[in-house]
Amino acid sequence: MLDGQDHVQTVPRQKWTLNQEAFDKLLVAFDEDRDAAGRKYLEIRNNLTRFFEWRGCSFPEDHADETINRMAKRVVEGEQILNHSGYAMGVARLLLLEINKGRQREQSALAEISTAPEAYVPEDDGERRLTCLRNCLQTLSPDNRELILQYYQGEKGEKIGNRKKLLERLGIPVNTLRMRALRLREKLQSCVEECLAGA
Amino acid sequence: MSVDNEKLIAQYLLGELPEEQQVEIEDRAFSDKEYLASITAVENDLIDEYVRGELSGTERQRFETRFLASTERRKRVEFAKALRTVVAEPVGPEKHEVRRWSWRESLSAFFGGLNPAARFALVAAAILLIAVAAWLFVETQRLRRQVNQLQAENQSGQNLQQALEAERKRNAELNARLDQEKQQREQTDESLRQLTETTEATNPVPPPVIASLVLLPGLSRGGDEKPRLDLSNDARLVRLQIGIDPEEQYKTFAVELRTSAGRQVWNRENLAARARRGTRAVGLTLPATVLKPGDYELRLRGLTEAGGAEDVGFYYFNVRKG
Repeated sequence: MLDGQDHVQTVPRQKWTLNQEAFDKLLVAFDEDRDAAGRKYLEIRNNLTRFFEWRGCSFPEDHADETINRMAKRVVEGEQILNHSGYAMGVARLLLLEINKGRQREQSALAEISTAPEAYVPEDDGERRLTCLRNCLQTLSPDNRELILQYYQGEKGEKIGNRKKLLERLGIPVNTLRMRALRLREKLQSCVEECLAGA
Repeated sequence: MSVDNEKLIAQYLLGELPEEQQVEIEDRAFSDKEYLASITAVENDLIDEYVRGELSGTERQRFETRFLASTERRKRVEFAKALRTVVAEPVGPEKHEVRRWSWRESLSAFFGGLNPAARFALVAAAILLIAVAAWLFVETQRLRRQVNQLQAENQSGQNLQQALEAERKRNAELNARLDQEKQQREQTDESLRQLTETTEATNPVPPPVIASLVLLPGLSRGGDEKPRLDLSNDARLVRLQIGIDPEEQYKTFAVELRTSAGRQVWNRENLAARARRGTRAVGLTLPATVLKPGDYELRLRGLTEAGGAEDVGFYYFNVRKG
């Protein structure tokens, strides 16, 4: 842009942010019914969060929100989206490329300062976490508590043996047992995080 | 899921696969919920292996780069460490004992597993069932009362029927006795008329011969104390004066006269008692021809206002002719 004295003035690029109107339009694009649109939105957001987690990103939820922002911007601009999940993944992968490029630039800059990778420092709330977990285990029914403890008990061969005994006792397929253990583990983890947040 | 599939997912999660394969896995995960759950399960297994130190050097490095990048995943690693510690803790035998669920726990688990809509539907169905049961109970009670009432009415009807029958029978008996008395009265009147005619035919007209006897209460059946009636051949009528206790409250009386063999020869009803010089007596007049020589029993009964009859006394006498 030229001002009166032929100097080039740079106009700072304004980042587009999601407003209520854009969000409403995005939901309508998902589904006419508000409740169904809400469920679709949550499903897409959860999948995007997992995607960025699996790809090793540090802030998967933030990246998921950014992806949805970009989708909403396209909808506001009049773009017709037929496959919302597929479209979201496409936008997410483009965003991931940007993130990786930025990461590579960071790593190059860091490499000049230090060669050792940053070590993982575990959190220091171990005892509280143990207490919370013991309490959360008591909230399970006796059968579920027994299942989760036996499923994860032992190392290697002993663990496999315990799981076989469980399968025989319960008389269920191995995948069913795995899913039950998975759900119980997720339930316990939520309980522990709530306990830690409340402590 | 096959071991190869699990291995492929583990490689994906550690970032060991080319982009094309990663895209394939991701697309499948977001269109197949079971596959998505499998990835989560393999994630947990990797975390557990890392916590137990079972990953190789390269795998461990990749894990720490990718898995420990986000806060959420770091929490999952911390949780896995805590779970490993708690699972390895020694427990008493009773803690691992699988006990049977009580019916309350089973019910609680069942309800807990239902989604809100199903729970609401179940509660609504239970309320409806209770309401229907209550209505059925009330209705059954009402119908039972109706049946009892009808039965009672039926019974009452039967009782009335029986009473009516009894009343009819009594009426028939009374009518028969009335006829009998009429007959006896006619007999007496005929005797009197014949007597009158006979005496009027010859003058002077002598009075009819009447034999009298006074009967007093308290005389026994046996023994020689029995009063005796001597009937002459020309006696036409017999007059019996039956003494009764002045305390007796009955206004009218009935009399039955039987032979010693029990054969009834005479009876009268609605006889009034007359008071005389401090005594009371019931008078009975009957034709002399009724009485043959022998012993007789006279039964005196007081008649009540309700139409019943109650024994007042038994009187015994002997009849001699000649």
